[in-house]
Amino acid sequence: MITPRYAADSATSRRQFLSWSAAAVAATALTAAGCAAPDGSSASEKAAADGTASTAARLTKIGLDYPFTQLPLYSTLVKLSTTAAKKHGISLLTTNDAGSADTQATNLNTWVARKVPAIVSFPMVFEAAEPVAKAALDAGLIWVTYGGTLEHQSADIQFSFREGGTLLGEAAAQWAKERLGGKGKVAFLTDSTIELGRERTKGMIDAFTKLAPGVDVVAREQAIDPDTGLAKTKAILARHPDLNIVLGVTDAAAYGGYKALQQAGRSKDHAKTFVGGQDGAAPSLLAIRQGTFYRASAALAPKAIASAIVDVPRAVAADRKNPSAQVPITLVQRGDTKEIDTLLAQNGPGPS
Amino acid sequence: MTTVDRALGRPRAFAPVGLTVVRRHPLIAVLAVMVLVFQLATGSFLDASNLSGIATDAATLAIVAVPLALLVISGYLDLSVGSTLALGGLVAGWLAGQGQSPVVAVLGALAAGAAVGAVNGVLCCYLGLSAFIVTLGMLTAVRGLAQQLFPLPLSGFGSGFAWLGGSRIAGVAAPVVIAGLVLVAGALFLALTPGGRHVFAIGVNREAAHLSGINIRRTPFALFVVTGVAAALAGAIKASVLDSAVAGTSGAGFELTVLTAVLLGGVALTGGSGSVLGVLLGVLFLGSLQNGLTLLNVPTFWQQMAQGVALVAGAALAYFAPRTR
Repeated sequence: MITPRYAADSATSRRQFLSWSAAAVAATALTAAGCAAPDGSSASEKAAADGTASTAARLTKIGLDYPFTQLPLYSTLVKLSTTAAKKHGISLLTTNDAGSADTQATNLNTWVARKVPAIVSFPMVFEAAEPVAKAALDAGLIWVTYGGTLEHQSADIQFSFREGGTLLGEAAAQWAKERLGGKGKVAFLTDSTIELGRERTKGMIDAFTKLAPGVDVVAREQAIDPDTGLAKTKAILARHPDLNIVLGVTDAAAYGGYKALQQAGRSKDHAKTFVGGQDGAAPSLLAIRQGTFYRASAALAPKAIASAIVDVPRAVAADRKNPSAQVPITLVQRGDTKEIDTLLAQNGPGPS
Repeated sequence: MTTVDRALGRPRAFAPVGLTVVRRHPLIAVLAVMVLVFQLATGSFLDASNLSGIATDAATLAIVAVPLALLVISGYLDLSVGSTLALGGLVAGWLAGQGQSPVVAVLGALAAGAAVGAVNGVLCCYLGLSAFIVTLGMLTAVRGLAQQLFPLPLSGFGSGFAWLGGSRIAGVAAPVVIAGLVLVAGALFLALTPGGRHVFAIGVNREAAHLSGINIRRTPFALFVVTGVAAALAGAIKASVLDSAVAGTSGAGFELTVLTAVLLGGVALTGGSGSVLGVLLGVLFLGSLQNGLTLLNVPTFWQQMAQGVALVAGAALAYFAPRTR
């Protein structure tokens, strides 16, 4: 029998090399991860282990569970929340849910088992979060719901996702009345996959169609990222080259629509074109500030959210009345230079 | 007609060439019917502007699909292309944003892609680890690296860099020209060079190829590197087209789209068979399907269902077609 040379050649040494390499890589990765992890002083560990009675008095750790780690807002929130927490001698823990509801549930259960004294969680599926929220409260921990309300919670940080959509829809409808005489064509880039997206979509479409009933709705397409926004808007333009308005459930999708319109030959400041989105993403804010036909964004205020992530659990720990917070969503448009600059500073845009 | 001819799906001497091509690539017929239906239903599918849009969108897919197809034919796989695309786009965009020339920006992206491909190649070809596991791991690791290096969105890369995605060469969009060059290079390599024959030989039987004197490590290693470079180039083009790049979402799920295009094109996942023409058809099929459903204003969930059914039908046709070697 012929044994292939490539398989027989120093098979043992290759296995040894592989084993040692794998061990070295794993050790390096674990060491790096350990070095990157937040400091856990012995006092804070003890406080965490003490659990119920001492939690309110000694809040040394807050766990931020924001599942959409792929979004730029995640990095911004972690950065700003960490800074806000440090001011109060609190260390911030984070999960890596990678947009998965299952992973989120596992991570939250781990935190409850470890008795992380305060958990701020943005549940991907609110109904599914009730049991773990109840377990957290039963263990004497603080549970703050982000972006909604649960039956079992200490407090919440509220946004009106629908309000963001409504603000954008109203602004676009007003523009259509003034610049297009209440006529024209609109395409909506929507999201029906998660609650946040559905709320934003409904707010946007309801407000626009109510205030500008004469504008023809030519498309409602699922798109939350710039690639899809670009491809969908290109296809819509093939059938409706006179499309006037593109409204996005996210700034990322709307930015794709903005680029598609530009590539179809619209000048950057085309008077009869309106693009708007939601989030307050840096590329969109820059386009608005430059006076392009990207005219509006319903922007979240990252600094206000980050403050709430730290202040609401602290308020619960201090037994303050009404510890919950309502974080506003602001519509920014061309003239709002100061607000745009403030948001850009918080978002830390790339090269401009 | 000999038995070998039959096994290889070679045409009868008197069979019309067109018919033979359709027999080997039944996706052509499906694509033709689909185009006809979309044109009749919308009246605008075959408009020059729409076809140009489809071609531009499909260009980045084709640029990555060709080298990936060669890799799959040689019996390997690369699932890390989506993250490599993101890294390439971010590196190129960042360099352009720092005031570097577009050439330097693109070269930087290509270097990043080559590095990812080289790591994949060393682990899979020289250390013999499973390509599925290695590239799946790299998919996550490279995405994490991109997010760590560029946690915030990049945008505003300047007019020089916009040339890559927005300019026209002899009236054709630059990404389409680049994709055309990649397709031609891939087809010529596969059909006319010893390296191309080695790709098939390694994919059919690695041990036999080794005993025939073929270097069964070097060729797939080179293909891993080329695939990484192609993914990074596609990322740079996307960043140029969008004038922005986001680490968390750029190229997310792209690995499945490109693999779908490759498999639809008749490339066997087990290696040893496939063609660049088939890959081109797979790319056009996916691009046309998404565009047509949007033109028809089909609701989102129906679009997903229609895409799934069409993909299964296309894959079944490709599976039952004669293998191309």
